[in-house]
Amino acid sequence: MALSDADVQKQIHHMMAFIEQEANEKAEEIDARAEEEFTIEKGRLVQQNRLKIIEYYERKEKQVELQKKIGASNLLNKSRLEVLKAQESHIKNVLYEAQHKLNPISQDHAAYSKLLEDLLCQGLCQVRVSTHILISNTLEARLEMLSEQMLPEIRAMLFGANPNRKFDN
Amino acid sequence: MASQSQGVQQLLAAEKKAAERVAEARKRKARRLKQAKDEAQAEIEKFRQERDRQFKEYETKHLGSQDDIALKIKKDTVEKITAMNKQVAANKDKVIVRIMQLVKEIKPELHINAKKEM
Repeated sequence: MALSDADVQKQIHHMMAFIEQEANEKAEEIDARAEEEFTIEKGRLVQQNRLKIIEYYERKEKQVELQKKIGASNLLNKSRLEVLKAQESHIKNVLYEAQHKLNPISQDHAAYSKLLEDLLCQGLCQVRVSTHILISNTLEARLEMLSEQMLPEIRAMLFGANPNRKFDN
Repeated sequence: MASQSQGVQQLLAAEKKAAERVAEARKRKARRLKQAKDEAQAEIEKFRQERDRQFKEYETKHLGSQDDIALKIKKDTVEKITAMNKQVAANKDKVIVRIMQLVKEIKPELHINAKKEM
């Protein structure tokens, strides 16, 4: 027996309801997934970039620190150089003044001739060793020759003993 | 029969509506994901600005102390040199006397090799 019109309508309505229900379920599923992915994606992006920013600024702060240290070290070196230069200048002055004090010695004939005797004697002693020795023993030359040897003593007398020095040969 | 095509039409309409509903849900999802990016961006930017502000504070503080260090080193250097000048002024004459002494002190000695020959 064929279905009545009413039955057909009922079937159709059932089918329509089914279609609607399926669509609603599907839509709900999509909405739920959307929420999930929203949370995950937002969290991921924030975390990733926070880390980058933290690293970036940490590096920048280290650079600032380093620059400061380098700057201070440079200034200290400059300062040390200044002090050393001042010392050098004092020593030059002292030797210069000593040179100039040598002139009057030649005025004192007695002492000067004794000096020359001794110089000649020393010169001769050195000649025995080799005939090629150039005797350049004027007082000024002596001063120059001795100035390097005398440096440690001069420094100690001028500036006081160096507390940092370990070797005293 | 007329009722047949009517039924089919009803079903087709229901399908169409269903498809629209699902399509809307998909559109909503897409918008929600874009929102995630936008909100994340805003949070990140806020964080960055705060961190940057902290950094600038840090920088200012350190640059300030750098100037202090420079001043201190300069002051130390001047003190050292002043003290040195005083010391030299006090000891100079003594030193010159000693230098003259060494220059005038000539000990004629035979060279060590010469001694051996004799």
